[in-house]
This record gives sequence, structure tokens and C-alpha cells, in this order.
Amino acid sequence: MQAKALALFVALTLTAGALQFHYDTRVEYFADRQAFVALPDGKTLKVLSFGYRNLVADFLFIWAIQFYSATHLTNRFDYIENIFNVITDLNPRFKAPYLVGSWIMGLEGGRYRMAIRLLEKGARNNPEEWIFEYDAGFYAYRDLKDLELAEKLFRQAAERPNAPPLIRRKWAHMVYMQDNLDYAFQLWKEIERSADDQLSRDSAFHHLYQIDFERDKQILKLAISEFRHRFGRNPAELDELRVRGILKEIPRDYQGRDYRYDPQSGTIQARRNYKWKSSY
Amino acid sequence: MKIPAIALNTFREAVRNKVFYLLLFFGVFFAFSSRFVSMLSVGDQQKVLMDVGLGSIHFFSVLVAIFTGINLVYKEIEKKTIYNILSKPITRLEFVLGKFAGLALTLLVALASMALLFFLFLFVTTGSFAPRCLIFFGLLYIELLIITSLSLVFSSFSTPILSSIFTVTLYLVGQVLWTFQEFKTRLHEPFSRYVATALYYLLPNLDKFNVKNEVVMDMPLPGGRLLAAAAYGIVYVAALLTLAVVIFRRRELK
Repeated sequence: MQAKALALFVALTLTAGALQFHYDTRVEYFADRQAFVALPDGKTLKVLSFGYRNLVADFLFIWAIQFYSATHLTNRFDYIENIFNVITDLNPRFKAPYLVGSWIMGLEGGRYRMAIRLLEKGARNNPEEWIFEYDAGFYAYRDLKDLELAEKLFRQAAERPNAPPLIRRKWAHMVYMQDNLDYAFQLWKEIERSADDQLSRDSAFHHLYQIDFERDKQILKLAISEFRHRFGRNPAELDELRVRGILKEIPRDYQGRDYRYDPQSGTIQARRNYKWKSSY
Repeated sequence: MKIPAIALNTFREAVRNKVFYLLLFFGVFFAFSSRFVSMLSVGDQQKVLMDVGLGSIHFFSVLVAIFTGINLVYKEIEKKTIYNILSKPITRLEFVLGKFAGLALTLLVALASMALLFFLFLFVTTGSFAPRCLIFFGLLYIELLIITSLSLVFSSFSTPILSSIFTVTLYLVGQVLWTFQEFKTRLHEPFSRYVATALYYLLPNLDKFNVKNEVVMDMPLPGGRLLAAAAYGIVYVAALLTLAVVIFRRRELK
């Protein structure tokens, strides 16, 4: 009797499996290319989770990763900000959803402003973390080309505790990129003074050299223009600017060497050439 | 000596009722879910793992507390074994306290075993120990004692089904009682506000014992807050046990 019941159980289980297989061969699971996601707001879900809000946030996050891996759903980005806001409302100290959510929003969905909003929320809820504003600054710099926003975000990230030296360098670089040369020079000087690794020292030196050159170039350009206005030609050499009383002294590069001057075109060149602005 | 004897007997009965099978289920569930979760999550794997572990311990131990608790008195009455007990020189107070102590011991052993399994899996999976979880287990135990006392109160005058409905409802309300503070501010009538305030202080505020987030996210847990929560829990349990004894003393056993 027992053996017969067991045999029946096995037979029924196999039949169920066969029916499932038969069903699957006739259904195209990915036929529907639109998704509809209705989630209550984070505050409501906090109540509805009855003390298990961390667990609900985890499950929602894991579900969101799977949902955003379903690339056939063409409208999946319509819901992304709400989904990640709900997860981070439920557990504001859960760091992965801010980072992963912003990757999906930005790198996959091209919604960089939205990604920055999520990362700024992460920074507000986790004031000891620098990573959120650093990532946000990176999106602002690389993808939005919004140097002012990038500078603000890198500065905020650099001011967080335990921020690595790299972030201060990014901030100073943003200041330089916006042609705020005096402030950039001051920041890079501070970096050079406080640097305790070769990379920071080298980076500071390259920037200080370039900023110094750009400031000198402006002075020399004006002086050459003044010379041309007065004498109807370019100076034969830079020292002529001093001899004719246009400049008190001729600026030299950050290493104390003369700039290269072409009297034909009246242009100045440094011995080192950094193309950060022209390649941006 | 009567209370420990009843307590030990209650503990033995719980073991005979295969309550500890739940531990086996928890072990298997946690082992599989930890692997599953690690596979599916991106980043913060240890955090997710701890959430799943602590959340399932919370859930399973509450299940044990509710469903073992509601059978405490009812079974004795249903099987008429209570007449045997009460015909001996045992007061109803000793009977109720003995039953409670027995279940408290059962819960302690169950919780300690689940905590041990949790620490073991955590260590095997992540190589870390997370001793702060002990704070969570301590407060969870007090929460379980409140739930047991609640089920004891209900089971002393009601049927198991009704008792479980009442206890589960109060457990759920207790988890979201913190919302009453905001709810009160939205009430315009003074009477409604008084009722909401009375309910807020009368019902068990179980959210006070929920420190999962603080423990997992390594957030500060001031000692004063923990002591206040523990004191609140102990006083609440004492109040519920008093109520259970009062009801049980008035109950006519036919």
C-alpha cells in the first residue's frame, strides 16, 4: 500500500513537470515589453513592513537588480527613481542601493541628474561617507560636463572624514578647469604641501606648472599686444618687453626656466605641455 | 519549588511537541537563503546576510512564542490535566508563573540555538563574528517574553484560535505603535487625541526592542536607551502576568 502511494506520488510529480514543460513551450515569457510597477512610498512601506524594514529593503533591492537586468522591458526606467527612493527610505544607511541605483540610472539609463540626486540623498543620510559625492562629481564632470556642479560635489566629498587625497585633487582640477587660476593655484599648493605620496606630489607639480604657465601667458600676451601697438611689430625676444619698460621682469616657468617664444607669430610655449582643457 | 517543577515540565512538553524542529528548519532556511542572497545581491553582502539571518530569527522565534504560548493553559484545560495539577497544593498563581517560566526557558534555548547557528553561518560565509548582534538577541528575548505573556493572558480566557488572532494583532500593532505619535498630531478632536495617547501608552511598543538596523549598520546604541527598553519590557511582562493571574483566578474550571 505504502509503495503504491509512493509510486503514485512520483508519477503525479513527473506528470506535473511534463505539463509545466508543455506549457512553457507555448508561452513566450518575454512577449510583454512593458512593465507596470506600483510601490507605496517609503514611509507607508516602513509601516507595512511591521518591524522588518531592513529585510523588505534588501528584498526590494535584490528584486530591483533583477528587474533592471530585464533589458527587454523598454519602460523600466520610468520607475527607477521611485524604486530606489523607496529602498533608501526604508533603510537610509544601506549604501549599495545608492551606488548601484546611480550606476543603473546613469550608465545604463543615461539619467545622470537623477543619479546625482540619489547619490546626494546617500550623502545626506551617511555623512561619514565620501563615496556618494565623489561618484556624483564624476557623473557631473564626465557625463554632464557641468564643471561648477562637479566642483561643488568633489569639494563636499573632499570635506568628508577619511576622504582619500584623490578627491581633493579632483576638486582642485575642477577649479582649474573653470579657469579660476588663482584659486586653483592656491589649492594645488596646499596639496603639494600636504602630499605624502609621490602621485599627489607629481600631480600637484604638473598642475602648478600648467596654471603658472597659463597665468604668465595672459600677462605676456597682453604685453606683446601692447608692444605691437606701440612699435608695429612683435618683440624680437621676450626680454625686449622689459627693456622697453612694458614689463618690470619677464615671467619664467614654474621651474624657473625661460618660456619658448616665436617672434614671427608672437606666441609663447612652455617646455611642458598639458592638454587637459583641449582634450575635455 | 513548585514553580520550577511546573516550568521544567512545560519545557519538556515543548520539546515533546517538537518545537525545536523549527530550529532545523531555520538552519536549512538560513543556509540556503544566505547562498541565494549572496548570489543575487550586488554589494553589502554581509549586511544583506545579517538582515536575512536576524529577520528570520525574529520571525521564527515570534512564531514559537505565539503558537506555543497560546496552548499553554488551553491544552491543560482541554486535556483536563489541570484538575490533576490544581488538586495538589499548587495555587493558580504558581501554575501561571510556572507555565510562563517554562516557556521562557524554551524560548531561551531556541533563541540561543538560532543565535549560535547564525554566528556560525556568518563566520563561515564572511569570516566575521559581529558581536553587536548579541544586543539584538538580548532585546529580542525581552520582546518574546512580552509576546508570551500576551498569549498567556489571552489563552487564560479564550480559545487557541482567538488567542492567536489577538496575539498576532497586538504583535503587529506593537511593531507600528511608533506611528501613533504622528497619528495623534493629525487628530483634531481632543477626545480622539486622548484615546490615541492612552492606546500608545497601553499597548506594547515592540519597536523599542527592534535594533536590527543599528546592529547591522554599526550605528550608535546608547546604553541608556537599551536599559530603558529592557526596563520597559520587564515591567510590561510583570503587568501582563499579573493580569493573566487575575483572569485565571476568576475563571471557573468545569
